[in-house]
Amino acid sequence: MKKYVSLLLAGAMTAGMLSGCGSAFEDSTSTTGAAADATKAAQTETSPGAAGEETSAAKEGAAAGRNVIRIPEKKEFPTVDCQKNTEFYVVPLNIYDRLVECEVVDGVATIVPGLAKKWDISEDGLVYTFHLRDDVKFHNGSDFTADDVVYTIERMMDPDTSALNTDFFSMIKGANDMLNGQADHVEGAVAVDDYTVELTLDVPFGPFLANLATPSCSIYDRESTEAAGDQFGIDPAVTVGTGPFKMESWVLNDKITLVRNDDYFKGPAKVDGVELIQVPDENTQKLMYENGELDIVDLSSSTSQLAYFMGNDKYKDNLVTGPEAGNYFYAFNQSIKPMDDVRVRKAISMAIDRQTILDQMYNGAGHVVNSMLPDGVLGSYEAQEIPYDPEGAKALLAEAGYGDGCDLEIYQKTTDAADALAMNQVVQSMLSQVGINVTIKQMDEAAFLAERKEGNIGMTRAVWWADFNDPDNFLYTFFTEKNAKARSINHTNTDVFQWLEDARAMVDEEERMALYQKIDTTMVQEEVAVLPLYQMDHVVVVQDWIKDFHIPWNGWTDTSYYTVSIER
Amino acid sequence: MLKYIIKRILITIPVLVGVVFLIFVMLSVVPGDPLTVMMGEKVKVDVIERLSKTMHLNDPWYVQFAWYLWNALHGDFGTSYKLMRSVSSVIANAFPKTLMLAVTAAALSWVIGIPAGVISAVKKNSIIDHLFMGFALCGVSLPAFSVGMFLQNIFNGILPVSGFASPMHLILPALVLGWNAAGTIARLTRSSLLEVLEDDYIRTARAKGLAPVPVIVKHALKNSLLPVITMMAIQISSLLSGAVITETLFSIPGIGRLAVDAINGRDMPLLQGTVIFTTTVIIVGNLIADILYCVVDPRIRVEGGK
Amino acid sequence: MATFEQAVSLAARLAVDSVKDQYSPEERLEAIGQVEEEEMEYMPRPDTLRAKLLMMCQENKVAAASAVVLAVMALAIIFADKLTSFDPNTVNLMERLLPPSRTHWCGTDDLGRDIFTRILYGGRVSLLVGIIPTSISMFIGIIMGMVSGYIRHLDAVIMRLADIVLAFPSIVLAMVVMYTLGATTSNIFIALSMIGWAGTARIVRSQTLSLREQEFVEAARGMGVKKWTIMFRHILPNCLPSLIVLFTLNIPDAILSEANLSFLGVGTQPPDSSWGLMVSQARTYAVSSPWMLIFPSLAILIMVLALNFLGDGLRDAVDPHMKR
Repeated sequence: MKKYVSLLLAGAMTAGMLSGCGSAFEDSTSTTGAAADATKAAQTETSPGAAGEETSAAKEGAAAGRNVIRIPEKKEFPTVDCQKNTEFYVVPLNIYDRLVECEVVDGVATIVPGLAKKWDISEDGLVYTFHLRDDVKFHNGSDFTADDVVYTIERMMDPDTSALNTDFFSMIKGANDMLNGQADHVEGAVAVDDYTVELTLDVPFGPFLANLATPSCSIYDRESTEAAGDQFGIDPAVTVGTGPFKMESWVLNDKITLVRNDDYFKGPAKVDGVELIQVPDENTQKLMYENGELDIVDLSSSTSQLAYFMGNDKYKDNLVTGPEAGNYFYAFNQSIKPMDDVRVRKAISMAIDRQTILDQMYNGAGHVVNSMLPDGVLGSYEAQEIPYDPEGAKALLAEAGYGDGCDLEIYQKTTDAADALAMNQVVQSMLSQVGINVTIKQMDEAAFLAERKEGNIGMTRAVWWADFNDPDNFLYTFFTEKNAKARSINHTNTDVFQWLEDARAMVDEEERMALYQKIDTTMVQEEVAVLPLYQMDHVVVVQDWIKDFHIPWNGWTDTSYYTVSIER
Repeated sequence: MLKYIIKRILITIPVLVGVVFLIFVMLSVVPGDPLTVMMGEKVKVDVIERLSKTMHLNDPWYVQFAWYLWNALHGDFGTSYKLMRSVSSVIANAFPKTLMLAVTAAALSWVIGIPAGVISAVKKNSIIDHLFMGFALCGVSLPAFSVGMFLQNIFNGILPVSGFASPMHLILPALVLGWNAAGTIARLTRSSLLEVLEDDYIRTARAKGLAPVPVIVKHALKNSLLPVITMMAIQISSLLSGAVITETLFSIPGIGRLAVDAINGRDMPLLQGTVIFTTTVIIVGNLIADILYCVVDPRIRVEGGK
Repeated sequence: MATFEQAVSLAARLAVDSVKDQYSPEERLEAIGQVEEEEMEYMPRPDTLRAKLLMMCQENKVAAASAVVLAVMALAIIFADKLTSFDPNTVNLMERLLPPSRTHWCGTDDLGRDIFTRILYGGRVSLLVGIIPTSISMFIGIIMGMVSGYIRHLDAVIMRLADIVLAFPSIVLAMVVMYTLGATTSNIFIALSMIGWAGTARIVRSQTLSLREQEFVEAARGMGVKKWTIMFRHILPNCLPSLIVLFTLNIPDAILSEANLSFLGVGTQPPDSSWGLMVSQARTYAVSSPWMLIFPSLAILIMVLALNFLGDGLRDAVDPHMKR
């Protein structure tokens, strides 16, 4: 009898799990189904019976000609509140607007009007007056006014918000006082009337306008955002912006659905919506693209698939490329031997054959750079070439007293893409030719970042893409005393520290750019604080029916899909 | 029985507290904090310093530990730094995926393991025995990610090889886990069936001239499967606690991957939440297995006539 | 109540790591073995062990063959430098991803290194990772288990400690240890030892519990023999047969755990290779260059399978039930 009891128990357990299982599937089905229903309601073309299990829904949708752009995402977003994260900008770029935007005009990245139709800058470069559009509404129907701009700034600087991007507004007068709890509002942010806002700075800040075009400076609605509390950026219903798309649903670890905002002030977008689908695996992204389940796949963030698409004639018309406003580089830590000696740093630079690495490992999809200011960014210039010269490197090492060789550690994160490790191993092998014995140290991401912040990480490969179009965004980020330590560069050139501060406050544009060029030459050619490697081409593969897709000025993966259309 | 179960449940409390304690102690030594990870390349020292204070990240570990216990006692397991949602909601989102994977994998392991074990036992020490056991053991003898990569390549284009969008996505990862569990099941079935086959009453049945196959089916299998069932209960509970490697390889956002992501992101509340959850699942699963075993075990002996 | 106690020990022993992809040797041992108590009655004397092993070799051809395979692999790994003229770590970008040929028996990897050579050298890491942490963890486990089983007032503390280690997701635990100590091969030994001891401790404890009630132990106690002497002279030798089996089955487990850690990026560090690391590095190229995946996987498969067969054979040899 007991035997049957036990069998029964086992059976009950299994059955319980199976039923739990069933409901799990029902759950996801109903959520996607509801989302699909709502999407249907919001558009003119509907496909009957699109509700159902996800892939079939997606396929049906595509078959029925639903104009939705489907894009893979490798990581789940923590929040789409771009004051609280520094990384996930695709949703903010599509659902919010900024006072000004950065766009490519005649091949040059230019600041263009956004929510502000025009602006005046006082002669001393301290007061920015923005004249706002009066025809803009937030997704919830409330009017966009100057008060919302002030609110956005004050929300960022409110200590209770715990914002991560406070540095984008901290140059405004009184902003830091509010952040430190010494004031309950930002003194320099004033709504003159409903459609005029005046921002006053502490000291002149050359890149201020470019800075306002970053996603972090997106404008929020006071009323609904205050009411939403910590659910803003997480709950689609209360996450409100002015942008061309509205947030419709968010199924964690599955997908985010954006739908067109028909009342968008620049006119409605050409597609009905955007779906951001979680596909962490790059190989799967390729398969789904080939099955027509994805419309746009960013190959520069799925590097393992780059060779496949670039080497396949079938896709040569589907590839969209554009320069990335960003550089890969090796950072040397000057407080670690033997990198404290400039001759050794120079020798390392000369012993690395950058062109071969680029050709062999990255299909040559980019070009070798010799400056920290990539092409396409304000202030970039023709820099002197860093030669590949192993014999010269040996001589320099001997001169520095390392004729018998020396040990060097290259650090990397375990979470880095596979190509980082491969490249470090190649460099390891190249440096061994000149007698430098390299050890690759892999650390887990958190430990690596924590140690790097303290200035303790040895030579390491890094990359920086422009947030805003100004050399300040590059050089200030690496070479001020604080930042050089936080990036484990630890250079001690006090002139450069001073120049970086001076440049920020310069009003004369030409003078400012000349100074930046001087800083760059000093740091790269003389100090050899870093070894610039490549500026890569950003490569995206798009389906035949996707039209007017362009790589954004900065070559980011995250971009606005406002201008993209679908023609089948 | 009831007394025993209560005793077992009481024992789990110090174990759970110990697990939480262990995590706090260990992570207090490990370098890294959630804010720095969140910022990544865009490291902003000032912001990190300021927020570390307001988020109490600089408090000594025992203070954090005490607060955590206090809040957990009130049912508040905190908010994930990484996903900015309550830990319980994140786990509730991940668990159904792990559950479905576990159930499918377990079912597969029985389908593969039991027949393999039975055939091996019947044809003891023959080529077939070695072949079947060899096949079953392959699943235990390769790292899960290696088996998974082979399957991904073989079924590339035929079955979904990654993600968790439909029941079809379950097949390959379940096969990886199921094959692994099948090795254990097959071995257990084989050895316990062999043992029963040597027992007196089966010998008697054989002596009476009954054909070998009905003997096996009617008498031996019935008894020898009982320890296998106990093993199944244990396997399910460990499958339910998530399979880190398989979930990572197949990009399944289940409990196992949550734990690894949490530790990589130094997301203490999320890590604590997942570990407490999986520990509880395991303890409960083992409790059920225990009870099954107690119910089953004497039965074997009586019938086995030892 | 005896059965309850037994069930507790069984279940607790099986309360293995929660985040798991592999079943631990303890589980498998339990799966093959049956009820502890019966074993105790038939526990063979250690001096007959050699005879039993000899008999195993005669009776169980698969186990014998496995032993030979293992010996050959071990020799090949030890004398790697005699078997190949390539350097395992020298990068050659011009010879990337070459298929198997007469020069490169197993092809080359994404950095143009000879895969056969890397398998031989990588085997050193895998073999060491198999043997060293297993030895350490079993040593700790034996001491903890005997103390827990013999000195009763320490039992609860040690067993709760073991409970915690067993209930903790083992990969997460190993990752935290690796993060704390840094990713080096010697730290892999420490991490794997830290998660491995608890299982052994449980088995030794339950055997000690049975043995301490046996007449010969009681007699020794009666004669005033010190408890540590009893533990090491009388109890340990009687646990030895199952410990040898456990050791054989623990080695593949350690090899696979190292592979898993390498897959997660916290195991063996490049340019050194272990088989697990080679397989996980093959991930990107598995479709276009399958030899990167196949050959290291085969190396793991053959070694672990051989160890498993050998372990099963040993168990058959020392287990009276299976010897009939």
